[in-house]
Amino acid sequence: MENSFNIIGKPVIRQDALEKVTGKAKFADDINEPGQLYGVMVRVPTVHAIIDEIDYSDLLQAKPDVIIVDSNDIIGTKKVGPIRQDQPIFSFDKIVTPGDVVAMLVGESEDELKSLAKKIKIKFTELPALTDPTKSLESNAPKIHPQYENNLIVHYPLRKGDVEKGFRESDFIHEESYTTQFVEHAYIEPEAVIAIPLEGNKGIKILGSIQNPFTCRKVVASVLNWPLTKVRIVQAELGGSFGGKDDTMNILSARAAVAALKIGKPVKIRYTREESILESYKRHPYILKYKVGCKKNGKIVAMKIDILADGGAYSSMSPFVTWRSVVQAAGPYEIENVWTDVRAVYTNNPYTGAMRGFGSPQPIFAQESIMDEIAAKLNLTPDEIRKINGFKPGSYTASGQKLENHDVNLLEVLDTAVKETNFTSKWKENKSKTNFNGYQLDKISETNAEQLILKKKDYINPNEQLRKGIGLAISYRGCSLGAEGIDAAAAYLSVQNDGSAYLLSGLAENGQGMKTTYTIITAEVLGISPNDVYYLETDTGLIPDSGPTVASRSTLMGGGAVKAASDIIRNRLEEFLRTEWKLKPQAQFLFKDGMVSLKGTDQLKISFKDLCLSAYKNGICLAAVGWYKSPEVNWDEHTGQGSAYFTYVYGCQVAEVTVEMGTGKVYVDKITAVHNPGKVINLLGAEGQVYGGVTQGAGYALWEQLTSAEGKIRELNFDQYLIPTAKDIKEIKPIFVEGKDIHGPWGAKSLGEPTLELTSAAIANAIKNAIGKRFYNLPINLEEVLLRRKLFPKDLKRGSS
Amino acid sequence: MIPQYKYYRPKTLNELKNILGQLKDNIHILAGGTDIVPGFIQESKRFTSIQDLIDINSIPELKTIKEFDGKVSIGAAVTFSEVIKNEIIRKYFPLLVKAAQTVGSVQIRNRATIVGNFVNNAPCADSVPPLLVYDASIKIISPAGEHITPLSKFLLNPYETQLNKNECVTEILLPIPTNNYIGDFYKLGRRSAVSISRISLAFLLHKEENIIKEFRIASGAITPIGKRFYEIEKAFEGKEISSETFMEIASAVGEEVLKTTGLRWSTAYKLPVVQQMLYQLLERNAGGSSR
Repeated sequence: MENSFNIIGKPVIRQDALEKVTGKAKFADDINEPGQLYGVMVRVPTVHAIIDEIDYSDLLQAKPDVIIVDSNDIIGTKKVGPIRQDQPIFSFDKIVTPGDVVAMLVGESEDELKSLAKKIKIKFTELPALTDPTKSLESNAPKIHPQYENNLIVHYPLRKGDVEKGFRESDFIHEESYTTQFVEHAYIEPEAVIAIPLEGNKGIKILGSIQNPFTCRKVVASVLNWPLTKVRIVQAELGGSFGGKDDTMNILSARAAVAALKIGKPVKIRYTREESILESYKRHPYILKYKVGCKKNGKIVAMKIDILADGGAYSSMSPFVTWRSVVQAAGPYEIENVWTDVRAVYTNNPYTGAMRGFGSPQPIFAQESIMDEIAAKLNLTPDEIRKINGFKPGSYTASGQKLENHDVNLLEVLDTAVKETNFTSKWKENKSKTNFNGYQLDKISETNAEQLILKKKDYINPNEQLRKGIGLAISYRGCSLGAEGIDAAAAYLSVQNDGSAYLLSGLAENGQGMKTTYTIITAEVLGISPNDVYYLETDTGLIPDSGPTVASRSTLMGGGAVKAASDIIRNRLEEFLRTEWKLKPQAQFLFKDGMVSLKGTDQLKISFKDLCLSAYKNGICLAAVGWYKSPEVNWDEHTGQGSAYFTYVYGCQVAEVTVEMGTGKVYVDKITAVHNPGKVINLLGAEGQVYGGVTQGAGYALWEQLTSAEGKIRELNFDQYLIPTAKDIKEIKPIFVEGKDIHGPWGAKSLGEPTLELTSAAIANAIKNAIGKRFYNLPINLEEVLLRRKLFPKDLKRGSS
Repeated sequence: MIPQYKYYRPKTLNELKNILGQLKDNIHILAGGTDIVPGFIQESKRFTSIQDLIDINSIPELKTIKEFDGKVSIGAAVTFSEVIKNEIIRKYFPLLVKAAQTVGSVQIRNRATIVGNFVNNAPCADSVPPLLVYDASIKIISPAGEHITPLSKFLLNPYETQLNKNECVTEILLPIPTNNYIGDFYKLGRRSAVSISRISLAFLLHKEENIIKEFRIASGAITPIGKRFYEIEKAFEGKEISSETFMEIASAVGEEVLKTTGLRWSTAYKLPVVQQMLYQLLERNAGGSSR
């Protein structure tokens, strides 16, 4: 099969590319309904408070016909959440974070509504703000959600072997702590949704920038107290998500739906960038403590990990995000004794949830930093320590799962990266030049300002201003949801009697190029062109619930479903041909270039188009729903042992950087990204995933950080919140080592998230190689490099300082 | 929120003068609008209080760059992109071109004007340090007439200039350098594009043999507003070019910056870095590494 692919593995331009680059694609805010009104949010300027009273009297006096929507309008569930229902659609009892919304005003002019909102008098009693997650579990900590015993959202233990025995048997022990920051998804399109009441009691249609239409439907239906069938979610073109258009969009959809039904008119909500950053969830900041016991020969025998995740004000996806962390925190290393605790806690910070990577970039930064430190103690190179400990076929993971039934090619991936970049000799060469004594600003105390005036010895020889460094990081990643939950997906394929086909899956196009991938899969099976496959609009009314579009599962699961549907149709056509051509049951066919022929002969041949017409006339059903279900996995919550995921992918990224010694500026010269995604379906799409993921990963390493002053976010727009530009990342080189797998379409697995999760660790290791300094706290920005700490303005003023 | 304002679009300087004479408070000149429009959105009081907005983009004189009497004039509606492409500017004022190239993005440079950059007088305005070392003056018109003032006097405090309500800056006047200068512009931003300056520096140096005959240096972003360091310039004229001299200059600028700004949240980083990078800048351009 390998050599006979028509389209699989070749570069195919995305179906939606032209529309998007020419500005013609319709995003949610481009869609307007006759008579539509706008919803504007009402917030309270506090971080943590009890709501005493919301007084609308001044507002109603100023504009008696203004439409107010708040918690009182909700008939069904007032609070929602994937595990714990702790997040209100409209806050009514407490404010727990500044993004909280107490009411929505609805009318024709957003500007007018924004001024009217100032007339609402909200009386509230301030409570002490809890912004430090390390204080969340203290007995006197303010309780964020009083209905729960304490601020613990979840605690996952993992116990393998006897970690204390492992430490006793170790030749040395290495301990370090690391921290990571809040980051924003920074999708280019802010949230937008329109809810349209349907005539004749048919329910409601919601069009929006929605990542997970089925989750959204569930939330809206529960808020309305309606059956699922009366809520139809249609996905508009989506301008980026990266995991970020889940909970927030579900809640906005519910608000729009409640308002639209209250007044019987379509209601649109669209956020400014400031509102988007204020209210949407972020990536979890982690505090990670690692203790590693190692033998003289480099073999790691024990690892103890303690992770604290800041869940912010709501539990959201914290139980799932931190579960992936507990599975993967020990890294792709075979270690006999592992003891891991991962906890997520409430604070009054912005809530944290799903973001590309999903609980993996944080532990990888820590684990891959400490691996380099251990290598340095043993006088090994970074690749040597990883070769000694890295997974091989048949290795057991920290959760006691034997790695089998797929290509466990971690070391091949590592080896490819090392050879491609000439890693070892560059690493040794850079390391020999890192001695540097002058200008060590982290040693200067600024209590005496005069110390900040440089002496002659502090000035750097211009030839030593720029230092080059190279560093690498490796990872393994469980594909799809694993033991998080039910894992299955559907696809609907309807071939027309002219040989063209409609295709739709239950997963969503979030900008990852999924539609193109799916049309390639169908086209490959049926031997037609992807241009003959027309992908339908994502609509919860037309296709079975296939779970969320997350966890890098769309190619693996949805692609599996598309292939299943395509195989069903192909089998029916083959069966029909056997009858028509009077062939034996074992006769085989070739579907290629729009033609179908009997394999091994030129005699029997028909165009795909004619075949479809003929089958149609003979009453053959050319429509099918394909279903793809994951194999069983299992997990023991008490011991953290089990077969967490049914298959894994492996990756290695090598970062080459230049560090400017005078400023601490880190230039990313090149990232070589070697990944095993299983089989590549669309080469162009796969490369695109690498370019995007690496750039986001570099942003995480060097620039991006969301901070707050007394609980209020400083960086509410992209003047303050800095994501990398094309000029900040020079070369990115994707290399695919295609492992073989029995799962997914032709063994295609996952790529989206692995591309991001490795970059910050590789960059941190490269910086260490360049200047001899190890950094423990992301992002490694200008101040971190020179001062080993971050500096922030004391107020929330925008502009330079 | 965009305020309700009256919009004027004069076609001649006389028409502009007339409009300036008629209007009273809260008038604002619109050139590129790249500070005004975000100012509306951010609800900055400097902009939301605008009642009358005068768009100067239709006045042909203000769209031109011309050379006359040993000077070059840049009109108030000339954009950064136009400055970057202009042959006269490229020939005589390379530091200004370099600074202009670092402003924002292509889209911003296509709209934003160089005059608007210093009239807004943000501490991080990238055009200010080069304009200061080139001894720029500016022409201001009002209903009463016109006058010329040095840029260094025009800039008062962050976001504050000498410009009165009924005045408009119409052009920048740059004397064409008569000496051979070595010089450069340096900007440190957190990113390599679309980046606000954390530090900016410009210098010009005229040497004979190995002696500094004339020296000019100006900063941006590290001082409350862009400024020249006249005393330091004078102190080092006549000194021999060497690494030691450059270190002394850099440390002297550091002390002056500390004196001007005092300790701020960013001082622990910016103060050592400005000295280090000034030293590197001087070494890179004026040679002289004696080590």
